Amino acid sequence: MPYKYLDHEADIGLEATGTRLEEALRDGVRGLLSLLVDPETVEPRETVPVQASGDDPGALYVALLNAVLAAVDLYGMFFRDFELTRLERVNDHWVAEGTLYGEPMDLERHAVEIEVKAATYGGLLAEQTETGWRLRCVLDL
Amino acid sequence: MSAAVNLRKIHDYLFEIPPHGKMHVPARLYLDERSLRELLENQSSEEWNAIRQLENVACLPGIVKAALAMADVHPGYGFPIGGVAAFDPKAGGVISVAGVGFDINCGVRCLRTHLTWSDLAGKEEKLADTMYKVIPAGLGSTGELKLSPKEIDRVLREGARYAVHLGYGREEDLEYIEEHGQLNDADPSVVSHTAKQRQMAQVGTLGSGNHYVEVQVVDQIYHARAAEAFGLERGQIVIMLHTGSRALGHQIGTDYLPFLEKATRKYGIEIPDRELVCAPIESPEGQQYFRAVMAGANCAFANRQVLTHLVRQAFWKGLQVPETAIETLYEVAHNTVKWEVHEVDGERRRLLVHRKGSTRAFGPGRAELPERYRAVGQPVLVGGTMGTASYILVGTEQGMRETFGTALHGAGRAKSRRQAKRQYPAERIVEELRKQGIIVRAHGKASISEEAPGAYKDVEHVVEVMCNAGIVARVARLRPIICLKG
Repeated sequence: MPYKYLDHEADIGLEATGTRLEEALRDGVRGLLSLLVDPETVEPRETVPVQASGDDPGALYVALLNAVLAAVDLYGMFFRDFELTRLERVNDHWVAEGTLYGEPMDLERHAVEIEVKAATYGGLLAEQTETGWRLRCVLDL
Repeated sequence: MSAAVNLRKIHDYLFEIPPHGKMHVPARLYLDERSLRELLENQSSEEWNAIRQLENVACLPGIVKAALAMADVHPGYGFPIGGVAAFDPKAGGVISVAGVGFDINCGVRCLRTHLTWSDLAGKEEKLADTMYKVIPAGLGSTGELKLSPKEIDRVLREGARYAVHLGYGREEDLEYIEEHGQLNDADPSVVSHTAKQRQMAQVGTLGSGNHYVEVQVVDQIYHARAAEAFGLERGQIVIMLHTGSRALGHQIGTDYLPFLEKATRKYGIEIPDRELVCAPIESPEGQQYFRAVMAGANCAFANRQVLTHLVRQAFWKGLQVPETAIETLYEVAHNTVKWEVHEVDGERRRLLVHRKGSTRAFGPGRAELPERYRAVGQPVLVGGTMGTASYILVGTEQGMRETFGTALHGAGRAKSRRQAKRQYPAERIVEELRKQGIIVRAHGKASISEEAPGAYKDVEHVVEVMCNAGIVARVARLRPIICLKG
């Protein structure tokens, strides 16, 4: 699995890996989407842009996950998928942009799982491994 | 380093880790041998373990006396849940996002009713269905109140008072809310547009996870004088409501995490865990975050006020119980940061007290308490699980001396959410609870599995530890009848 959930008594850890940082970020977002709602029940009818920035890849990971959580409320939508469209280091910080694919919330049809309050710096890890990148943080549930 | 090695037993209900490494003060945990053993055995990760998190808190600048953990302690992010830490601004004390949490001012309101258990007999299913319809809960739910940006700013400034102004609940409710439901240092201008926008449709929604509305019956009274002051008697129906500041609070935490990280670097504060980003209380950054948190706290007060109104509506629609038969007993939060005056080593000091998953539990005589309760002490609301008792306790003088007037906030998780999900299928839990006479209505299956009674510590035991330690005293035990979850 490009992402996995980690045991935590009160919350949950979300770890994403990829040969490139872009993939790890993308798969982290996909892992988050799957926690909120069963993606199979959501149709990718509309797109929503998201962007995030951070001083380093770890802060960027947390900021991107939080930008996705904000998009759920701001657009009143659930999302099936996410693609990362830009990752760049600008001066002293990192910027990521991407597109969420989903549709307006329909509580009759969408298999809602659980609300995630926020991605935190708890257990935050962003490291380059022999095979690529590993990102991890604790999500507040 | 193994955290357990340094644990020193102070008495049967209190352990201490003396300062070592960069700790400024000791870490103290209100546990007995059994709960300590369970805490050590249940740790799902060496890295996010509650004892290490408490030691990390003890390393923060300006911390006073000790980093404290209540009996329901379990791992959080940065701070452990069940943690308490007080900081002195004169000693370089800090304010920290992790000490408050993302669900700013998450808390519990208890409503007492004029009903007895026999008044509900045979009507429980109908009431549960009405509550399910009337009270928005779960991810994606929206409140009936749709607010304009100007109105959101008033929520952030005026808290529960503004909700009453809009017709949600009554003036008398405010008397029995911590801070009368309104914190004056709130400043909506330091709360982001995104935070306000996310909240526009979420005022008056319950949320999911461990948030709930529960109808309960008082099945035991332990402290006649306090029970009389709180208006409680055996057989009486009460309602507990647990929720927080919703998306607005979450976004404030999100916005201020990188903001305070910059401050941490600017002021050269050494932190053992990145989640412990903080700023000196009296720095511009610390002050700004504090004003934002106060605004988030007011949002939580308003949210519980609107939900109180919806609970009254559900009782009226379902059972024709008049609104006036449901009164606010008390509301107190457990994710807070507040200025309080405490006596430390014989000296009265103004401290910034962080409570992360722990409840203010003031003893008798404090001016902050409603007049009706002042002589006996503050009601302390402890939520159990869907299948176990909840408690109303009362704060003590000893708690004022030892824990900055703080006690536990719930049973405390013992198993991870993923373990619980694997172990407790929702259908089985609902059926088991039904056999015990407890009706559960939930919008998401995950809320049932993850919040199954077996995922928590034994509430009877954690309450016993805190009472035997003298920090609180039992007033009443409440047994669940109906539980509504997100």
